[in-house]
Amino acid sequence: MFKLIRRNLLRNKRRTILTVLSIAIALILLSFLDLLLAAMSGVNSANANRLVVRHAISLTFSMPAAYEQRLAALEHVEGITIMNWFQGRYIDDRPENFFPRFGTDPDTFPDVFPELALSPGEIDAWRAERTAFIAGRALAEEKGWDIGDVITIEGDIYPVDVELTLRGIFTHTTDEAAERVLYFDWQYVEEALGNPGQINSFYVLLDSPDNMNETIAKAEAMFENSPDQVRAETEAAFFLSFIEMMGNVQFLFSAIGLAVIASIFFITVNTMAMASRERTTEVAVLRTLGFTRSRVLAIVLFESLAVGVLGAAIGLAVMPVVTGAISSVLATQGITFSELRLGERTSALVMGIGVFLGLAAGLVPALQAMNMKIVDGLRRVA
Amino acid sequence: MTVKLVEISDVTKNYRRDEFSIKVLAGVSMDVTEGEFVALMGPSGSGKSTLLNLLAGIDRPTSGQIRVAGQELGALNDSQLAGWRHRNVGFVFQFYHLIPVLTAFENLELPLTLTKLSRAQRRKKVDLALEVVGLADRKDHYPRQLSGGQEQRVAIARAIVTDPRLVLADEPTGDLDAASAQEILDLLAQLNEEFGKTIVMVTHDPRAAERAGRELHLDKGRLNSAADAA
Repeated sequence: MFKLIRRNLLRNKRRTILTVLSIAIALILLSFLDLLLAAMSGVNSANANRLVVRHAISLTFSMPAAYEQRLAALEHVEGITIMNWFQGRYIDDRPENFFPRFGTDPDTFPDVFPELALSPGEIDAWRAERTAFIAGRALAEEKGWDIGDVITIEGDIYPVDVELTLRGIFTHTTDEAAERVLYFDWQYVEEALGNPGQINSFYVLLDSPDNMNETIAKAEAMFENSPDQVRAETEAAFFLSFIEMMGNVQFLFSAIGLAVIASIFFITVNTMAMASRERTTEVAVLRTLGFTRSRVLAIVLFESLAVGVLGAAIGLAVMPVVTGAISSVLATQGITFSELRLGERTSALVMGIGVFLGLAAGLVPALQAMNMKIVDGLRRVA
Repeated sequence: MTVKLVEISDVTKNYRRDEFSIKVLAGVSMDVTEGEFVALMGPSGSGKSTLLNLLAGIDRPTSGQIRVAGQELGALNDSQLAGWRHRNVGFVFQFYHLIPVLTAFENLELPLTLTKLSRAQRRKKVDLALEVVGLADRKDHYPRQLSGGQEQRVAIARAIVTDPRLVLADEPTGDLDAASAQEILDLLAQLNEEFGKTIVMVTHDPRAAERAGRELHLDKGRLNSAADAA
């Protein structure tokens, strides 16, 4: 029986190969979306001891710089620093020249981000010079920067062009994405703008993750009656809300994934129906020879299942290559994910969908073959 | 002593086409003795293929009884009928209906995969059947690599590989040239005479019918006359 299934699969090689490949490509896309979502929600550079305080309305609103002093006075706070998204334009608007650029406070930043490794000499050099900046190793290597190099970032959100000198290159032990960021002294922009004293966000380092909820509640309560109310959240939650600014990404990705699966499902159903219809007489002959209805059902279902599983297997085999290639392309556009690897969960999802597609697509033709009257099947061609 | 292998009693068969009911067989009764070679003749639409299908258990009568090899076919459900067919009936089609993706050997082995025979036992039976039809040297050929006459001989080998008591042939020479048709008729006669197979053959061709021991004529669903030919 398995010999017959195998031969039937190879009967129209081009059709089988195209169907298997279309399933494989659909599953690659689906699993990539799944990996992307997992990588986004994983945000592994987040520090469990850190919380982020931002404007209650949205990230695009700023808060008075004076909030820093009041937040620093809260119990359990061991350090606090400011963080402003400068954006700007480096060289030109090409995606490969885009990377995150933040204005911060060199005096407090190293204490709040201890995982970013800088030598004491580099920290001192950064603090000593208003126009100094530090960059992650991955970013510096990508741009070919060395200590002492001067770069210019043209302002867009802020009407200030900043000319910066590289004084430190930091590393992160686990998260390459954290190494693709540039930090400079926000005071540079503050002075150029006439000291407006507006801050996007405060990063607060606590003594223990156990005190996170209590501090969040106190921070939000502290500014409850002020014109600029704040929202405090864990760093991981903050990253997620940042992603959500792009819209409901998860919903979007899920919808795309479902649409892909639905379309490939109908294509596979059609293909299996065509393959089955072409063999109506053969099914009738098998039944004449003594094959039972259930055996005929099993033959058609196994054939369809083999197509689905083969597609999933090819998808899984090719997925690491595709993930690597797309990650590289995204990295050149400033989008990096350190955890874009095919895990057991995604593999199981892909194989599960492959099995489902195979069985579901084969069900209708299999039932038709099973319920066909033998004389009708023989009459169709003869 | 003669044994009745096939007993058909007052069988009718009606088909529905849209709102019309078409009577294809109208009260047919006949017997076939074990070891007989019967030719079933009649014009197109007379009901001969329908009668053959009923004998094979691949269709059911509207009324009447069919007993083959002592088994009342109406008493069997679909699954039982499939098993009965596999054990008792070999069917030869006009257009051979070999499975194109399987070799001659594999086509013959197919019905044997439904048994508990070992691979070696299956091989032995297939080799023997191919030898009987004179195609032992073509066992690895696919149907497309065989001539029409050879395909039909493989189909006959497939029909006898399970050693059924009854062989049913529906216009077995209808798609063949005269020489190949003669070979097929010789082969059927050999199966009947040397191996004692009971054969019921549907044919249009009077010369083919002459090879049978008995001719039955169907017209408009009724068995008109029977004549001993040989």
